[in-house]
This record gives sequence, structure tokens and C-alpha cells, in this order.
Amino acid sequence: MPKQASKATIRIAVDIGGTFTDGLAVLTPGGRIWVAKTLTTPRDPGEAVTTVIADLLRQVTQANATADVTANVTEVVHGTTLVTNTLIERKGAKTGLIVTQGTRDVLTIGREIRYELYDLNLELPKPLVAEDKRLEAGERMDVEGNVVQALAPIEMDRLMAALGKLDIDAVGVCFLHAYVNDAHEKQVEAAIRARFPKLAVSISSNIAREIREFERMSTVAANAYVQPLVADYLDKLDTCVHNLAPKAPLRIMISSGGFTSGAAAAQTPIQLLESGPAGGVLSAMNTARNAGIDQILAFDMGGTTAKACVAVGGEPLISHSFECARVSRFKRGSGLPILIPSIDLIEIGAGGGSIAHVNDLGLLNVGPESSGADPGPACYAQGGADATVTDADLALGYLNADNFLGGEMKLRRDLTDAALGKLASKLKLTHTEVAWGICNIVNENMAAAARIHIAEKGHDPRDFTMVATGGAGPVHVVEVARKLNIPRVLATIAAGAGSCLGLLAAPARVDRAWSQPCLLKDIQWKQVARAYEGMRSDAEDELKSAGANLPSIKWYIGAEMRYAGQGHNVSVSLPWRAINDGMSAALLKAFEANYTKLYGHLVPGAAPQVITWRLTGRSQVKSHTFTWGDSRVSAKTALRGKREIYLPLRKKFGAAPVYDRYSLKPGTRLTGPLILEERESTLVVPVRADVRILRDYTVEVMIREF
Amino acid sequence: MKLDPITLEIQWKRLVSMVDEASAAFVRTSFSVLVREANDFAVVLTDAQGRSIAQSILSIPSFIGTLPATVKHFLQKFPPKTLKPGDVMITNDPWMGTGHIHDVNVAMPIFHKGKIIAYAAVVSHMPDIGGRIRNAGIRDIYEEGLQIPRMKLISAGKPDQNLLDVIAQNVRVPEQTLGDIWAQVAACKMLEERLKPLLKEINLDQLGNEIRRRSEAAMKKAIREVPDGVYHGHTQHDGFEEPIIINATVTVKGDKLSIDYTGSSAQVPRAVNVVPIYTFAYSAFAVKALLCPDVPNNEGSFTPITTSAPLGSIFNPTYPAASGGRGMIGHMMVPAILMALADVLPERAIAEGSSNSSITVTGEHRGRPYAAVNFMNAGQGATQYRDGFTMLSFPSNLSNTPIEVFEQMAPLRVVERAIRRGSGGAGKHKGGDGLRFEVEVAADTPMMASMIMTRYKTAPQGIAGGTPGKVGGLYLNGKAINPADHWVLNKGDRVVMETAGGGGFGCAAGHPILQS
Repeated sequence: MPKQASKATIRIAVDIGGTFTDGLAVLTPGGRIWVAKTLTTPRDPGEAVTTVIADLLRQVTQANATADVTANVTEVVHGTTLVTNTLIERKGAKTGLIVTQGTRDVLTIGREIRYELYDLNLELPKPLVAEDKRLEAGERMDVEGNVVQALAPIEMDRLMAALGKLDIDAVGVCFLHAYVNDAHEKQVEAAIRARFPKLAVSISSNIAREIREFERMSTVAANAYVQPLVADYLDKLDTCVHNLAPKAPLRIMISSGGFTSGAAAAQTPIQLLESGPAGGVLSAMNTARNAGIDQILAFDMGGTTAKACVAVGGEPLISHSFECARVSRFKRGSGLPILIPSIDLIEIGAGGGSIAHVNDLGLLNVGPESSGADPGPACYAQGGADATVTDADLALGYLNADNFLGGEMKLRRDLTDAALGKLASKLKLTHTEVAWGICNIVNENMAAAARIHIAEKGHDPRDFTMVATGGAGPVHVVEVARKLNIPRVLATIAAGAGSCLGLLAAPARVDRAWSQPCLLKDIQWKQVARAYEGMRSDAEDELKSAGANLPSIKWYIGAEMRYAGQGHNVSVSLPWRAINDGMSAALLKAFEANYTKLYGHLVPGAAPQVITWRLTGRSQVKSHTFTWGDSRVSAKTALRGKREIYLPLRKKFGAAPVYDRYSLKPGTRLTGPLILEERESTLVVPVRADVRILRDYTVEVMIREF
Repeated sequence: MKLDPITLEIQWKRLVSMVDEASAAFVRTSFSVLVREANDFAVVLTDAQGRSIAQSILSIPSFIGTLPATVKHFLQKFPPKTLKPGDVMITNDPWMGTGHIHDVNVAMPIFHKGKIIAYAAVVSHMPDIGGRIRNAGIRDIYEEGLQIPRMKLISAGKPDQNLLDVIAQNVRVPEQTLGDIWAQVAACKMLEERLKPLLKEINLDQLGNEIRRRSEAAMKKAIREVPDGVYHGHTQHDGFEEPIIINATVTVKGDKLSIDYTGSSAQVPRAVNVVPIYTFAYSAFAVKALLCPDVPNNEGSFTPITTSAPLGSIFNPTYPAASGGRGMIGHMMVPAILMALADVLPERAIAEGSSNSSITVTGEHRGRPYAAVNFMNAGQGATQYRDGFTMLSFPSNLSNTPIEVFEQMAPLRVVERAIRRGSGGAGKHKGGDGLRFEVEVAADTPMMASMIMTRYKTAPQGIAGGTPGKVGGLYLNGKAINPADHWVLNKGDRVVMETAGGGGFGCAAGHPILQS
């Protein structure tokens, strides 16, 4: 993080999404923000980035906020969907793979299961590396990392000769048990760098040092697959940024909710997979932190999907396995497994574009199919004939046909009615019943997924505050909260640029892992201590390169534990401490506490075991207060009028006041039902509630009826 | 009040998500490889009559309809009026439960205002149940392990310590088997806890009736679309001294579909007999996957389907028939049914593939006991539109064990896990390839090994002129060995297991094949 300077400094965040590239500048002190937006330029993403940064600098200059704007930019934080899109669209490099003899087919074989039990014709994800681009090496380690078969010089020569013939731009290396002993992978890496200096090389022990060869191989293959592209992209971006703001280092947001240096990101680009969504969660956490809340359910709802994430004690939950590029969008198991630390998000097929239909049982269903941006909901008048969630929201009075995207896009109520009419006659219900049914079902779908997600982490939803982001998040958040018995809801400012706010609130962060399955009572503590020494010095190097202030870094020792014989882990985390046999008791205590919290009971007689050791270092999280720098916060009349909206508890329409959100001053208190409109979204409070505008223009809703 | 299609959807979704929540917690704590790698478990909520309302969606086909039947079997022994709050019933009787003793079933009544309004039930494959290691060659149920008749595990909140002691004494890993049984009880209690607050809004009887009615109507509609007629499907399993015949006669009449297995082999003194409850489960799976994959699993959707087989046959065996490897035969009902309906539903026809094989090893290494299992899947059949899947689990859904995990669990080294290229049958669309799996024993002391092999004598057949896939094989140090035996392995021994390829579809271009 930049040091707190007395003079004004500017920090910039840029988030490249599929459609738009968003930018945000914040001036410190004061926290005034400016936003900019332009269409993403897929061929040269740097073009949109340049446009956005230039626009931001212009806005800041116009506002006379600081004298020499360019010179005062202290950092540029960047998030991107480039990695995700490259994998989904299969536009990565020609990639090879070197594996242990006998495992060439592992990448194709996978785990041999069907992700959908009853589908006789399912589609399976294709491996990223073609079969004829995989080489086997004569080498072998055993489970303890002892060399069973050494990698002989003559074998290395043969391997390099074969590699030279592959016609590839990147190569991954994944040897069996390399998570314990990386010597052979390191040898191969060194040989490749010597012989083929232009070939991008990724080794599994660097990317994902975890047991399970298929998942690790899949991760290293994906890293190699995106590496040349990302390296090139970051290099160009660095130049762009340097030209606009010469003193600002480029920092990259990673899936775990921290940032790292451009150089580290170029080495392990696979860490960027969930960079955008992670930004959204951090933004929600920052908003909550400013309101003194540290137990949240971050809730984001956009056009096609809704995402939810639990953060407790100011920490987002982290998952260490992840799936990307699913061939069947919401089906677990239909994607490529990726072992990287990633903010633990659930994603469900529920968005404004989700289509309502009548299923085989004659019941109304919503999603996961989505009308997307094109043709979009019926009311967009772009040819969509199916009723969607957005259509239902319009019919219920939650959306204003004349204020969608600040009025840029008129919504057609007549087309919504026609689409709803088709369902109404099928179901023999009224239009309003169908519209409320769609809304209620999509809310139930999201609540059900969130309920399981929270319960799986051992929490009670009633202790949470929901923080809404995304275009459709504020429209649905109150009803979803009511279903979960969550009493308090926050709506952040700048929901549309939510990821960017999060990028600026992100701490520096590194993660390292080391799989070494062992019963707790048999752990060789000296060996573990040595492993941690290595991980820590490596991690410190990375943090240094990301510009972090090392003494301010907090370190955590993590362990994935279970009872021997089980297959799922319980994560345990301890503050950094001396690693010796004294740690055994602390680990056991933490494991048993977590296990009880999750499952309610311990297993008598069973033996606790550590599967994977983890190291996390991150800078302290600071609160960032943001406030609009432009003229959005105006002295206009706040009350725009009244509108008939559907009141679910009364089961009928009733008049509710409609306010211009940013015209409401901090400290304002209102009572629901009401509607708060802003350019990118609408906060709908369809029940009795106490509504308050907080100091940073965040809206707090205390729900008074369930 | 009548339930409209929106209220119904919302209430029902809530029950399903409740059941899924309990099943997620159960899977995460389970000690059974089969539960967590293969979802070899089910959690169900039934009404007061034992009719299913919602079943965990992850469960594998073996449990379609079994758990509600098990609840009814419990109620025959323990009539509802004798049950008290805090009672939990238990059994692993194959005929009462799911077809083999390795699955333990528990069920718990849920009381509301002094009356039973529902049952929570969980069944899962245990980490161990004693007896010999699961193998097709086993002769009767006594060899298979501990039998638990229908009993009360807990009476009015008080666990039966005698029963617990007997179980603990009879299994190899008592803390794990008991750990899983207690996790089943915990899942039942979680269902009860989650259900209670919903009872204010939800009338379970009304909801259950409506869901069953609609599911039944959807299944009937799907069956009506199949032309009436009597259709025959036939396949055979490797068997032992002689092959085992699977003969399915599918009769479609209006909105009803029945499958009769007359003409199939008699029961055998081996562990591959299939009790009626399992015969029904896999038959229903085939029908559902073929006709209406999206209709939910509940009794309504299966009311229009019936199965039958003569008493004493492989699909309706009598006690004390062994059934530990029931899946080997049970899985083959699926291709038999698919074959039977291939002529009337040519669009959906699939050539034969092979179900899974496995290797289980046990022993002691450096003073510590170990047990590990790895499943091997095989090639699947081609269709008119696509090649067969290479090494995909079907009709069950069992994942392989990662090499690195397998080697952690037992002292051996995997030499190769590879696609057995060319093992799939030829055709316009090729059958999927099988697997070649080779391990070397690295143990200092002898290792006990049991191999379950499928399709090592009888090849998966092609259709419409496609050729059969290659049969599988089992070799010890290069020599073919009999999978019906248990084997003792020593350091340096190498076992090769090859699984079969799937059948092809249609004549391959340039390779005219005579059609029979």
C-alpha cells in the first residue's frame, strides 16, 4: 500500500470486463472518486485502458483537485477477465505438457465421472493440451519424495530434442509427487530455459503445490496456456500506464482478493482467473467495514448470474480449488479444475436476463437459461419474446421504464405484458401473479444457494448483513434477505463500478502451499519448519516486488486437516508462530473447534491428519471511505414522486415514494416501502423498513417485517 | 387451499435444498471413499406413510426409490404408533435396504405436535462392514460381513450400546464405520431441525401429493410417447463357470411400462445376485435417463414403472444369496433396456459399453494397516450422433482415485494409467476406449488384493453394424488370472487391468460390415 503522504495522491483502478472497461480514480486524502467507462477493446485491451485512465485524469484535473495530476498518481490497480475469457474461448497459446512416464493420458482421462447423471449425451470439457503435444519423461518420485528413478542426462537430452519438434509457445511440467519434491521439475525447467529461452514454461510445483495429479496438471496446463498472452498483455499495459502516469507501478488483482506485482502475475497468470469478482467482494467488505460490520454476505446480481460470498471477521472465505470454463454453465464438474486460492464465491444462474418457463411438471421455473444482452428481456425490444426477471421487475413497478441506465434505454411495458401473458395463460394465473412468481422464484433460488453456502461454512444467516452490488442486486436484495432472515442490508455506492472500488481497497497478498499428508502425531516438525522457511522467503520476494511494506505484513500458517480416512478438509489458520512440536496442540484445538462448528460433533477414536500446509501473507486491511467527486451528489429535490409497486406482504400494489438516491444527504432517515433510483440500479424496499443514508452515501436498510 | 404452480415450486425447492444441505454435510464428513468419490449414499424425506417427498439430487441410481421402501420395511417391524421421539432405526439387510450389506440404512421419525409427520432417512456405503473383502467370487451372505436386521439403533434418545459394541467388534475400522453411522444420524437430525420452522407454512401431505401427482403425470406423458408393444433386450455378463444371461422384456401399454426379467439366469452362489429393490432401481434409472431425465426422483415418477423377475432368479434371489457385487449384473440391466427400446427409439439408441471394474488392496505396511480402492471405468457405446465416451463411468458414477492419493493410501506404485487405444469398436461412430492400468507392489509384507472385473469375457456389442469393443483383461506378472479369486501379492509383483472398449455405431466408411 502507498504510504500516507501529506500531499494529495491519486490512485486509479481499471477493470476490464467482457463488455465494458471501467475505471475509477480516488483522491487521498478525502476519498473523492471519479468514474469512467468505455467499451472493451478485445484486440488490444490496452486501448480501452488508455482511454479510461486519460478520461479519469481529465476529470480530476477539471475538478481542480490537485495541482500536478499525472505526477501524483501513486498506483494503478488492475483487474481483468482476460484469463477467464482466454480459457472459455480457447484462444490461448499452442501448449505442450511434460509429465511422468505412464501419465500422458491423465489430462484426457480426468476423473472419469459424469457431471450429470441422467444426461446420456453430455458434453465433456476438452483438454487444453492436445494428446500429440504431451511428452513423457523417464523419472519417478515416491510419495515421500524419494527418487525412484532419476532423471538421467541422456533422458533429458531426448526430452529436449522431442520438445524442440513440438511447435509450441508454452509448456507445462507436471511430475508425480512434485508437490513433495520439485527437484525433477526444476531440472526440466532449467533445461528448457537454457535450450528454448523464448518458450514460456510453468512447473506444477510453482503453480499449485498440491496433491492430486489430474487437478494439478490441469492447473499447470491452464497457466501455460494463458501465459504468453498475459505476459504480452501486461507488458503492453505497463507501457500504457507508464506513459500516462510515469511514477505509478502497475498492480494486479488476483483471485484470492489481494494484489500482486505485474511481474508475479505474468509468471502465474492463472491467479488472475477470478480477479473481477474478487474486486466486487472486496468492495462489499470495504463498505461494510466503514459501517462497522465484519460479517457479511456479499451479493452481486447482474444480467445472467448472481454471486454470493461469505466474509467473516473482515476476511473473505477462500477456496483452494476452483473450476473454470464450464461447458455446461452451472454444472459442477463440467469445467477445468484449477487449484488456486480463490475467493469462495457461489455462482447461480439467476440474473435480470434469466428466462421464466413452465417445466415438465407444469411448474413455473426461472433460469438458468438467460436471454443475455442480446436479445435480452422482452422489454428491451430487441426481439426477446420470453419473460425474464427484468420483465417481472418492470411489471411489478420495481423498475422505472424511463430511468433505465439513467433513461438512455426505454423499457417497453407492452412487450413485457405480452411475454407475461403467454405464461399467464399456460399457468391459468394473472399477469401480476406470474410477475411476482418469477421474482419470488428467482429470489428463492438465490436464497436457497446462499443458505446452503452459509450453512456449509458453519454459520447462521441471521448474524449476517447483506451487501448488494451489480445492476440487479439492489432490486432483489431485500427480498432475498427476508428469505434468509437477514435483518440488515447495505447498498454500496457506485454499484456499477463495484469491482474498481474493491481493487482500491485490496491488500497485498501472497499464498503458498505444500502438500505433505501426515497424521498429526507423526509430523516431522523440522521438515515442516524448513518448508515454511522456503515458502516464506519466496513469498517475501513476491510481496517486495508488489511494493508492499514487509514489516506491515501479517503472516498466517494454514493447514488443511481431516480425520484420516475422510476425503474433505477442514481449513485451520493460525497466526505466524515458531514451527515446532508445540504447534501440535494448537492445530488440534483449532481443528476440533472448526470441525464442531461445521458438523456439530467430533469423531471419537479417529486420527487427525494434515494434508496440505499453507502460508498466507497479506498487508493490513485499511478502511477506505469513498465519496463522489463529480456532480452526482446534487442539491436536486430528492423525492421524485410516487409509484405503484407490488408489496409482497400485502399481496397487492401500493404507492411508494421514489427518491433520487444521491440527492439524499448522509444522515437522512426514511421508512420503507420505498424506491431509491440511481443511474445504474434501483434499490427496492417493498416492505416496512428503516432506511438510513450513511456518511459515505451507503444506504442501510433495517428490515422490520419478515 | 389448492397449491398454485408458483407456491408449489417455492415450497418444494425449499424442501429439496434442505435435503441437499443435509447431504452436503454428510458427504464432507464421510469416511467412505464410495460416498465421497461416487455419491454412494442418499438422503430422503418421506411423508408419514413413508412416501418420498424429496431426495438428495447427488445420489446415484442404486438408490432410486430404495429408501422410501426401506422406511416402509421399518414400519412393518416397528409400527408407527410404537415409535417415540428420539427413535432411530437401522438395518443393512439387502432385501430390506439397498441390495447389499455394505449399505447401512437409518431412518428417524419426525414428530410435530405429538404426531409423526415425516421420516428422515439416510443410506450410505460403509467404509467397512467386516467379512471378506468385497469380491464377486464370494459364495453367500455370511462371508460378506456383519448383518444388521431391522433394529433400533437409538430408542427414545438412548443408543443401544450392545448393538454398537457388536458393530465395533465386527468391522476393520470401527471408528470410521461408527463415525459414518453417527454422521447418518446427524443428517437425520439436521433434516428435522430444518423442517420444523417450515411446518408453519408448509403442509407436507398436500405438497407431497401434489409433487407426486405432477411427477407421475410427467412420467406417464413420456411413456405414452413410446409406441405400445413388447420389446426384448438381451445381453450377457462374463459370469463364472458360465455366462450370466440378462433378458429384459419391456412392455409398454399406454402410460405404463413394465420390465420382466424372465429368461435371465438363475441366482448363483456368487456375490452378484440382485435383490428386487435394486432390480427396480437400475431399471427405473434406464427408463428415466432415456425418456425424461428432468423429472424429479420420487415415487410419483416411478409409479408407472414396474419390474418383475421369477423367484430364485439372478434378479430375485433368495436368502442367503450373496450380493456384494450386485452392480456387476445390475448395471447390465441398463444396456439390456436400452437395447430393447433401440428399435422403437432409434434416435436415442446407444451401443453397449461396460460398467466399472475395481481393485481393492489391504494389508499392513510399516506396522500400520491400510486399505485402498481404485475404480476403473471403461469405454462406452457410440450413438448415431457421436463416438462413445472414452473411460467414462456409466451407468453408475464412480471416479478414479488419483495416482498420488492411491500411492499415499497403500504401498504400491502406479506404472501406467492410460487410454487403451483401439479398444473401442469400429463403426460410423467409434466405441469409446477402455483403460490400461498397471501397478507394481512396493510393500515389504504380503498384500491382499481383490479385483472386480467386468466384460473380460463378453464384449460390449455394437449396433446398426458397429463392431464390438475389445474385452478387458486381468494379468499378474504377464499371466491372465481369475478375478473371482482373492490374490496375495508381493513386492515387485505387477498387476495389469484392462477395461473393455465400447461398441461402435453404424458401418465404418470403407469397412463394409455385414449386418445380421
